[in-house]
Amino acid sequence: MWRFGLRQAGRLALGLLGAIILAALVSALSDVGRTQGASAYAGAILAHLMSMGRFDFGTSSISNAPAWTELARRLPATLELLGFGALIAVVIGAPVGLLLSAGRVLRAGAPLIQIVAAAPVFCAGLGLLWVSERVLHWTGAAPGVSLLAALESGNPDMVAAALRVVALPALTVGAAGAASIQLALRRAIGRAAGEPYRRGLQAMGLGRLEIDLVYLFPEVVSGLLQSLGEVASSLLAATAVAEWVFAWPGAANLFLKSVALQDWSVVGLVLLVFASLTMAAEFLGVMGARLLAETERAT
Amino acid sequence: MSAAGEIAAPAPSLRTIIRGAGFIGLGAIGVAVGLADVLTRAPANAENVGPPLLAPSLQFPFGTDILGRDMASETLHALAVTATAAGFGALVTVIVGGLLGFLAARLPWGLGLFTRWIAGVLGAVPALFLAILLIGLTARGLAPLVAGLAAAPLAFARAFDRARELGLSRHAEFARATGISSNALLRRDLAYEFRDTFLVNATRALAAVAIILSTVSFLGFGATPPHRDLGLMIAAARDTYFDHWWTATFPAAALALLILCARLAAALDEGERP
Repeated sequence: MWRFGLRQAGRLALGLLGAIILAALVSALSDVGRTQGASAYAGAILAHLMSMGRFDFGTSSISNAPAWTELARRLPATLELLGFGALIAVVIGAPVGLLLSAGRVLRAGAPLIQIVAAAPVFCAGLGLLWVSERVLHWTGAAPGVSLLAALESGNPDMVAAALRVVALPALTVGAAGAASIQLALRRAIGRAAGEPYRRGLQAMGLGRLEIDLVYLFPEVVSGLLQSLGEVASSLLAATAVAEWVFAWPGAANLFLKSVALQDWSVVGLVLLVFASLTMAAEFLGVMGARLLAETERAT
Repeated sequence: MSAAGEIAAPAPSLRTIIRGAGFIGLGAIGVAVGLADVLTRAPANAENVGPPLLAPSLQFPFGTDILGRDMASETLHALAVTATAAGFGALVTVIVGGLLGFLAARLPWGLGLFTRWIAGVLGAVPALFLAILLIGLTARGLAPLVAGLAAAPLAFARAFDRARELGLSRHAEFARATGISSNALLRRDLAYEFRDTFLVNATRALAAVAIILSTVSFLGFGATPPHRDLGLMIAAARDTYFDHWWTATFPAAALALLILCARLAAALDEGERP
């Protein structure tokens, strides 16, 4: 286990190093004009790499504030949206994935879910916005009200207002995550259910439910954990779209504006943070899956 | 009747039926796109074809938009732009991702592992962000190429891992032991891999690239007027669709249909993360 953990930690470190180099490649564009040559660009990359070593991620060319300050102002809103989106994704995606893998007839119905999943995230977001305005009459809710802060205050009116603001973007992100989770779950169940040991256990007299609970369930959870990086990536992409559609003041929205205005220091930093989040999720997923397998073997 | 004639043909599996449905759908979209100029009542961006914001009727089945453009014609023209661009992007993904990934796995002196590391780092960035970054660095006109490149790292990583697996397989060991050169082995593996997975990979990439392309257009980084694609059409309808639902619904339905058919043709295997 330790050797495996060290290998995975090494892979994570290499990945993070790559993400830092990518961020430096992008950030260096802010120092070099289009007319300057490759040597000036190489020098700028090196300078940015060294600055990043001192946790200096450059300055925003728009606000003149440090890029990290710009991001730190927006990141909590993004993480809150991601968190609630992930919660909704699990609540919707896990039962759907389990249901669509429960039997032959239900498995045959899996293509039907594709009709819903084929709608891109921005279409889902616009659809939800339409429902909120036309059906629920939720108008005038200003974004930026933190649900976590509202919960902390304990004021029910504030909580209700914050819930109204976060509900639609979180549902949009959650729907995208749910599609990813149900797919990973169905894939894991399909793989685990096909294992030959199940027939052997049935021949030994064990019931189907017992086999599923004791043997299949840990394998399915392990399979799902191994797809954690993939799920995190789809949640992050959905966050960018949801932030744009619902004017959510988060880091993904900052990324879009920074690319449009060529504020490369901020762009590089956002890329670094988002890539690190995906890599960390992947690492945690792989380690969790391995830990689960080791525990199962021990018991 | 001969004995061979008595053997019933095996029933097609659900997977085959789904793929068949997907390819039929893609074929129908291809025909509609190819005949777009003939099937539509107005050329692309023709304004004042009807009264502005007219609800769907017998005369205008998809209604009209704020500039009096026929929504049915506009949707078909935009579908043509999206499908063509996504097709080109998918080809880029298959070549840069699938083909180069397969070849990179056999590169000497650790070069293969180095390229795999780069693909892994780029793959950790969501493809949508990568596409927006590349468009910001180049030009909006290159959106189809960029969307294909953005979807490529994951395809590269998958092809690379598959090629490594094949390189360590028993048939590869046997081939090497019998003196077959590594180039001949690579050509053989590549030919079989291409035969078995090209269509699945291409349709999977088509779905991913269509999502990326339409999303970047929706966010304002992709297509520019007068070459409107479905993402741009939906973005343009943002101010009107609350009161006039048809301005966004039909382009969104056309986009969902294209993605659905591509995913069905790939037998529901969604490898790429849009």
